[in-house]
Amino acid sequence: MLQLTRRSLLQSAVAGAAASLGAPWVARAEAATLRITTWGGKWGEVMKGQVLPAFEREYNCKVEADQAFPYLPKLQASPRNAPIYDVLHANSNEQWQAAVAGLVMEKITAKEVPNIKDVYPYAISERMAGVSIFTSAIGLGYRTDKGLTSPKSWKDLADPKFAGQRGGYQIPVNSLGQAHLLLLGQLYGKGMTDLEAAYKALEQLKPIKLVDFTGQMEKMLLQGEVVLCVIHDSGIYRYDGQNQPIDFAAPAEGVLSLEQVLNVTPGTKVKELAFAYIDYMLRPDVQKQLAEAVWYSPSNKNVKLDARYDAKLYNTPEKVAKLIQVDWKWYNDRKDQIDARVARIMRG
Amino acid sequence: MSTRPASWGRWTYYGINGCILGFLLGPLIVVAIFSLNPTPYIQFPPVGVTLRWYEKFFASHEFMNSLWLSFRIAAAVVVLSSLIGACAALALARGRLPGARFLAALFLAPLMLPAILTGLALFQLLLTFDVGRPTWALVIGHTLVAVPYVIRTTIAVLADFDRSIEEAAAVLGASPVRVFFEVTLPIIRPGIIAGGIFAFIVSFDQFPISLFLVAPNNETLPIVMFNYMKFELDGAIAAASMVSILLALAVVLAIDRLVGLRATMKM
Repeated sequence: MLQLTRRSLLQSAVAGAAASLGAPWVARAEAATLRITTWGGKWGEVMKGQVLPAFEREYNCKVEADQAFPYLPKLQASPRNAPIYDVLHANSNEQWQAAVAGLVMEKITAKEVPNIKDVYPYAISERMAGVSIFTSAIGLGYRTDKGLTSPKSWKDLADPKFAGQRGGYQIPVNSLGQAHLLLLGQLYGKGMTDLEAAYKALEQLKPIKLVDFTGQMEKMLLQGEVVLCVIHDSGIYRYDGQNQPIDFAAPAEGVLSLEQVLNVTPGTKVKELAFAYIDYMLRPDVQKQLAEAVWYSPSNKNVKLDARYDAKLYNTPEKVAKLIQVDWKWYNDRKDQIDARVARIMRG
Repeated sequence: MSTRPASWGRWTYYGINGCILGFLLGPLIVVAIFSLNPTPYIQFPPVGVTLRWYEKFFASHEFMNSLWLSFRIAAAVVVLSSLIGACAALALARGRLPGARFLAALFLAPLMLPAILTGLALFQLLLTFDVGRPTWALVIGHTLVAVPYVIRTTIAVLADFDRSIEEAAAVLGASPVRVFFEVTLPIIRPGIIAGGIFAFIVSFDQFPISLFLVAPNNETLPIVMFNYMKFELDGAIAAASMVSILLALAVVLAIDRLVGLRATMKM
């Protein structure tokens, strides 16, 4: 009896596993499929829960949203005439890597995406490969319960009293860290291409706590492991109303722009649908929905945010003028040498 | 006076074992505390006890789908890798195969190559044949890295195998098939089962190979956890880790009970 039960249980398990693994073969959608990359977290929830289903209904298509990093190596490995994605959503530095490799288009205009006529100039500036649909402002996050006043300047980060209590990023893998490095060149040298001045200033920030992801930085700030750190505004504002002793400060020298960029792969078989998707993502109602869900500043000038968001996000010409954009193409060309030098500085 | 050295030795023994246990279990304890702590970040000492992160984990379709997918894949990998691994081990240990050494090295190659390269190579192969990223590709990828474990554990059992038992069965009239199923298989079973347990754990926790092979809406638990951590780092990730660990443990115990690893190990 025991033998029979065991055997039947094992047989059922094997049969069940085989049947369920075979299931995805059963049907493949007949409607056009748009393959995109997108973020996870709250952004992913809103995209998959509301934004993408509405797009699918409107355009009678299916959207396959890949949320599993890394996007660029997957795109690189796929054939140019049959890319694995139709639309690449990435930060600006990665988008430039893709553009230089010919994996995405260099420019998108209002001819293909009509809503581009309503975006702020930064969203389609010469620093963009594609179109920025949102941006975050990279500034300083700080603890409000440690007797600190709101930092006024980026240079406050170098104050000796924050030794070991300031936070930054692993520059080789994090675009906030990379942008901050170039900004150090502007703050302490001749400009954002003055790498020697940037390296020297980076040396002065030691000891500094470094992390890979912004999510880790948020937690370190919440835990009080760091009291002052480089971070994007959405990483702080997402805790708005949760009674956490943290706040965001926009330094007087300006804030760095962390753009969310969309671009189309040249080999896509659904180019019209891909452009329609970008146009859809730039619609004021879609922009408002996402901006208020994740505290990203919308690129479309016609978006009317609720007062709570309107007060903090970069959604007026005056505020947008404070955004500092990084020349990622220039940075990417030198990335290897920068990484090697930064590694030496941080080891030393 | 004469008991002092023995007592000292015993305490040293306990001390070393305590250190090893602490080293192995320390991270688990931290994760367990984080998963029960109400704050959305690691805080020590904890400020209370809550199950909200477990609720969040179990309420998430994404986590639940990925947990179920990981489980199904791992189950399939156990079956496939046990079959392939056991057959390969028998052929390598018993057969007079030309190039047996080369074949042995070939079977172990997936363990020597960085798994991320294996994942990338499989990904490119799938693209070449334009078959998308189906679930069976994940099964194949995981099986590739799981098979060497089954081969090693089975070969280890075969090394101590007394072949005169098989010869005795054959002399008494048993057909080769019967000899295999009634003599050989029961003896090598502990090796296959031990390899199968490794295979389950290797597949269930597999990250680098899955990284390239998962398809949208069809992601395994480690991939979903990694992506979640990039945007959120609350206690739900600790709850996911605890559930993952406990589930893997439960499956290992279930395999043990179902196919009798412990019983056969006593043979």
